[in-house]
Amino acid sequence: MTSVLGVDVGGTFTDFLLWEDGELSVYKRPSTPDDPSRGVLAGLDEAGFSPDEVVHGSTVATNAVLERKGAKTALITTKGFRDVLAIGRQTRPKLYDLEPNRPPPLIPDTRRFELNERLDHHGETLEKLSKRDVEQLLDKLVKRGIDSLAVCFLFSFLNPAHERMVLDAARKRGIACSASFEVLPEHREYERTSTTVLNAYVAPVVERYLSRLSEGLASRGVGGLRIMQSNGGSARTGATASLAVRTVLSGPAGGVAGAFQVAKAAGQDRIITLDMGGTSTDVCLCDGSVPFTSESTIDGMPLRIPTVDVHTVGAGGGSIARIDAGGALRVGPESAGADPGPACYGKGTQPTVTDAHLVLGRLRPDRFLGGRMELSVAAARRSLKPLARSFGGDVQEAARSVVRVADASMERALRVISVERGHDPRRFTLVAFGGAGPLHACQLAESLGIPRVLVPPFPGVLSAFGMAAAPVTTDHVQALLSTVDTSAAFQRRLDRVIERLESQAKRELASQGYTRRVRISRSLDLRYAGQSYELTVPIASTKATTYSRAFHAMHRRRYGHSDPSRAVEVVSARVRGEAPGAPVKLDRALSGGKSKPLPGSGRTPRIERVPVRFDRERQTWLYERSELKSGDRLRGPALVLQLDATTVIPPGWHGRVDRIGNLILEQER
Amino acid sequence: MTAHSDPTALAVFDALFASVAEEMGVTLGRTAHSPNIKERKDYSCAVFDAKGKLVAQAAHIPVHLGAMPMSVEAAMPLAPFAPGDVIILNDPYLGGTHLPDITMVSPVFAKSQLVGYLVSRAHHADVGGMAPGSMPLASELYQEGLIIPPLHLLRRGKRNEEALSLLLRNVRTPDERLGDLDAQLSAHRTGEARLLELVDRYGQRDVARQMVALQDYAERLTRAAIRQIPNGEYAFEDFLDDDGESDDLVPIRLRLRSRGGRLHFDFTGSAPERPTSVNAVAAVTRSAVYYVVRCLLDEDAPTNDGCLRPISLTLPEASVVNATPPRAVSAGNVETSQRIVDVVLGALAKALPDRIPAASAGTMNNVTIGGHDDERDRPFAYYETLGGGAGAGPSDNALSALHTHMTNTMNTPVEALELSYPFRVREYSIRRRSGGSGRNAGGDGLVREYEFVSPAQVTIVGERRKRGAWGLRAGTDGKPGRDTLIEPGGKRRALPSKRSFSVQKGARLRIETPGGGGWGRSRTKTGKKQR
Repeated sequence: MTSVLGVDVGGTFTDFLLWEDGELSVYKRPSTPDDPSRGVLAGLDEAGFSPDEVVHGSTVATNAVLERKGAKTALITTKGFRDVLAIGRQTRPKLYDLEPNRPPPLIPDTRRFELNERLDHHGETLEKLSKRDVEQLLDKLVKRGIDSLAVCFLFSFLNPAHERMVLDAARKRGIACSASFEVLPEHREYERTSTTVLNAYVAPVVERYLSRLSEGLASRGVGGLRIMQSNGGSARTGATASLAVRTVLSGPAGGVAGAFQVAKAAGQDRIITLDMGGTSTDVCLCDGSVPFTSESTIDGMPLRIPTVDVHTVGAGGGSIARIDAGGALRVGPESAGADPGPACYGKGTQPTVTDAHLVLGRLRPDRFLGGRMELSVAAARRSLKPLARSFGGDVQEAARSVVRVADASMERALRVISVERGHDPRRFTLVAFGGAGPLHACQLAESLGIPRVLVPPFPGVLSAFGMAAAPVTTDHVQALLSTVDTSAAFQRRLDRVIERLESQAKRELASQGYTRRVRISRSLDLRYAGQSYELTVPIASTKATTYSRAFHAMHRRRYGHSDPSRAVEVVSARVRGEAPGAPVKLDRALSGGKSKPLPGSGRTPRIERVPVRFDRERQTWLYERSELKSGDRLRGPALVLQLDATTVIPPGWHGRVDRIGNLILEQER
Repeated sequence: MTAHSDPTALAVFDALFASVAEEMGVTLGRTAHSPNIKERKDYSCAVFDAKGKLVAQAAHIPVHLGAMPMSVEAAMPLAPFAPGDVIILNDPYLGGTHLPDITMVSPVFAKSQLVGYLVSRAHHADVGGMAPGSMPLASELYQEGLIIPPLHLLRRGKRNEEALSLLLRNVRTPDERLGDLDAQLSAHRTGEARLLELVDRYGQRDVARQMVALQDYAERLTRAAIRQIPNGEYAFEDFLDDDGESDDLVPIRLRLRSRGGRLHFDFTGSAPERPTSVNAVAAVTRSAVYYVVRCLLDEDAPTNDGCLRPISLTLPEASVVNATPPRAVSAGNVETSQRIVDVVLGALAKALPDRIPAASAGTMNNVTIGGHDDERDRPFAYYETLGGGAGAGPSDNALSALHTHMTNTMNTPVEALELSYPFRVREYSIRRRSGGSGRNAGGDGLVREYEFVSPAQVTIVGERRKRGAWGLRAGTDGKPGRDTLIEPGGKRRALPSKRSFSVQKGARLRIETPGGGGWGRSRTKTGKKQR
C-alpha cells in the first residue's frame, strides 16, 4: 500500500491529487501566497489526506526572483570581470524602444567583488589566488552582513581549484555559498555566472520554506517530501547543491510531464500540449519524449539547466480585449488576472476571453467551478458592448472576434514549436488542459491540421498528477571542449568523464534513498568546429564514430544539412540518473475519483440542450464529465462540463471516452 | 481608398503574415553555415505585396529596415518574373546596404498570378575585397569586395551556375558562402510554401486585400504617433569625428518638417561624400530615419509600408548621407547610420522635449583582429562590435554597456573567444562615470582590454572619440570613447578612432566606449542619481 500526493501551488489555487493504490482523489483550495506551505498543510487537513509522500511543485523560488525577494547575495569573480553579470550579452530586449530597459541584475554593483586570479583556456594557472585575499574579502562580506555568496571565476569549469578555495573558506565560516563549478560546470561566463547567482539568491529562501513545510508534514505523519524540478523530474529536499535553482522554472514541467504520461497510456507519444490558464498559455511538443532545453531565461536572466522546453504566449482566459489606435482588435498580453478577474466575475469591467465564451454560451453561468461561483452574463455582455459598437456588430459577433484573435496568437505559438522546428502537426495529438485549454483545442487543431485532441480526465489538476507520477531525477554535466578524434586515448578520456558523472548521479540518487531500478542516460553536447551552439545528442556508446554519426543525422534533421567530413567538437558530457518515484500506473479509468473500471455503454448521460453560438447558433447538448464512461460516444456540437474545465466539441467533431477516461476528439471526415 | 478594415481580420492577418516572415528567418538561421548568421542573427526576412510594398518584416537588425523596400525596387527592372525566379544583389547603390549584406528577392505566384515578393538579407562573413571580412578601411567600393548588381540567381527554378561560379571564385570561403546562400534559398522556399498556404486557406483576393488593409492599419498607427509631433520645422546637426583620413569633423544636418501627420526629412547641408568608407548610401539613411519613426510606435505594431507612407526625405546627391559610386561604404552602414539616428532624435527632441532621449553611444566600436595563431598554427580573423551607454530619457537612468539603435548583435563570451583565438580579454567591465549626468543619468560605456598572445594586425573603426554623446534638457554629455595601445613594456599610446596597425605579442589594446548623454537638470549635488 503506497500513496503519493501531488501538490501544485498556483497563483490562485492549490491543486491536490492523491494516488492511493490506484485510487485517485482530487482537491482544490485557494492558495496562501504569503506562505504557500500554509495552504498546502491546510489542504491536507481539509481533504483528510495522509499520504506516505508528497511531491510538491513550488513557486517560492520563482516568486523570489520575480519579486526580487531573494537573499542578500554577494558575487566574487575574476579581476576585471565583476560586471559580466550586468553587461550580459550586450543586447537590449526590444529592438524598437527609445528608452531600452531591462531588469537590474540580482546583485548590485556594491556587492560584486573581484579577486586577483586567472586561468587560461587550458585551465592552467596564469595568476594564483592568494588565500589571504580570500580571507580578507570574506571578512569584509561578513561585516556587510550578506546572507549568501556566489563565486564564478573564468575557466573554473576546467579547473575548479580557485573556486574551491573560496567555497571551502566560506563554508568554514558558515556562509552559504554557490560555486559555479558545482552549479554549472560549462563554458560561457555570463550564463554560468547568472545561473550560479540565481542559485545563491534563491537557495536560502527555498531552504527556509522547505524546512517549514517538512516540519508541518512530519507533524502530520508524512515522512517523504520531494520537490518538482524544471526538468520534469523530482528530487528529495536537501539533494543537490543546485536544487534551489532547479525549482525556479518547474512551474510548467508538471503539466507537460502529466500530459505526456496520460497520452502515452492512451497510446499517443507524439503530442502537443496546450495548457491555457488565466494569464498565459504554455505549449510544448513531445516527439516521443518530453523535450528539454538548456537555454531558458527568467526575467531576462539566463538559467542554463535542463528545463522542459515550453513556449509561452500572453493569451489566457483573463486576457483583456481592446481596440488599438490603428483600429485592430488586440487580446492580451494584459490580463484581468484573478483580481478583478473577467467582467463576468462581477468586479472588473474590461472584456476578456472568458467573458466572450460566456456570451457565446460555451461557458455555463451556473456551472462554473461546479456551480460554486455564479458568472454574470449581463456583466460580460456589458463589457463587450464597446467593442461591438466599434465594429458595428452585435455583442455575439464581438465575442466571436475576441475568441478568434486569442486563437490566432495561440496558433502562432503552436506553429513556432511545430512547423518552425521541422515537425508536421498532422502527425501529433493535441493534449488540452488547464482551465481554458479544452475550450479552444478543437478550433486550434482544425487550423493546424492536427487530427486529434485529447482531454485528460482531470484537465484542471493535470499538473498535480504529473508531480505525483514524477520520477526522481538528477542531472550532471561536465564541460569537455575538445575536438572529437577516433583515438583510443580520446575515448578513454571520455569514458572517464562519463564514469565520473555516472557515479555522481548514482551517489546522488542513493543519498536520496533510491538505489533500485536506476536508469542512467548519457548524452553529449556536440557541434561542428567553429559553431557556437551545440546539439544535445543522446549516446549509446562512447565510440566516436557512433555518436558522430548520430550527431550528423540530428544536425540534418534540425538544420537541414550536415557535413560528415567536418570536425566535430564535444562541448559537454551529460548524465541523467532516474529512478521511479511512486508506482503510479495508468491502467484503469481515472474519471475524477472513480476507481472501478467503467464498462462501455451505449447510453450517454446528457443533461440538457442549450443554444450555443458557433458559426451560427446551434442547439447543443451538455454532458457531465463525471458521468461519462469508457466507450461513451458524443457528437458535436456538445459541451462537456466538469468542476474546473469545459470542453467544447464543435459541429463536425465527435468524441469518445477511452479506456482510462480520456476524452478523445476527432474531426469527422 | 481605405481597404477593408475589419478589426479582427487585422489582428489575425498581422499574426499570419508576421509568421511567414518569421518562419523564413527561422529557416535561414537554422540552415545557415556561418556563425554570423546562425548566432549573431545578422539577417532579416520580409514579405511584400504584388506591387512591391512591404507587408511584414521579421527584423533583427534595424539597419535593414529601410533597405529592404529598395532591394525590391532594384529588382524590378528584371521583370517580368516567372515562378521559380530568385534575384540576388548586394550592390549598395542598387538596393544593398554594404557589400557583406547579400539580398535575395523572389516573386511568389499562385496559379500564374503574382501574390507578392519575399526578401531575405543576410550578412555574409566574407565577400572578397582587400581584407578578410570585407569591411576594410577602403577608399573605393571595389576594394571592399565583390559587387553583385541585381541578377537572376535562379531562373524558373534553375540555378544560374555561371553567375554563381563567378561569385564563389571571388570570396575567401566559398563553401561557407554557398552554404549560406543555400540557406537563404531555403528561407524563400519556406516563405513561399507558407504564403501559398494562406492563399489556399483564404483565397488570393482576401490575402491581397488583407495585405493592403494591414498597410493602411500601420499607416494609421504611424500617423497617430506622428500627430503628437507639433507642426513646425526642427533643425539639428551633429558630426562624425572624422572620416579616418583627414582630421576634420564631418557634419550631418537635418531640417525636419512636421505637417498634418506627415514628416519630411531634409538632409541638405550635410557633408559631401568622403574618400573613405564612412559614406552612407541612401538605403542606410532611410533605415536610420525609419528606425526612429518606428520607435515612436508600440513594439507589437506591424512594420510595413504603411509606416513609411507618411515619411519623405530629401537626400543631397554625393553626400555622406547619399553616396555615389564608387565610394566605399562599409563604415557608413555601421557608424554613420548611428549618427544619422542621433541627428533625427536631436531634431525630434525639439518637437517632443518630454519624450525623446539624449544621444546614445553612437558607435558600434568595430574591432577586427587577424594574423597567424601560433598556438593553433593557423591564420585567424575575428570581428566584433562593442556596445556603449544608452542616452537617458525622461523615465529613468539609462542602461549601460549595451548595443543601441542600429544594431543589437550579441557579444562573444570571453571564454568562447579565448578557446578559439590567440588573444585574451583582461577586462570586460562597465566604464564607470562615463555616462552624462542629469535628472536621469546616461548609461555608462564599457571597457574591453585585449592582450595579444600572438602578433596580430588590428583594425579599429569607432566614433564619438572626440565629442561625447549629447545630453538633453540640461543633462550633460557622455564621455567620449578612448582607445589605447599598451606596449609590452607598459608604454601607452593613444589611438585615433579609425586605424589599422600591428601589435606585438604581449601588447594590450584597451577600448573604452562612449557613455550616453544625461537627461534633465540634476536634482542632487553630485549630479547623478544613485543606481
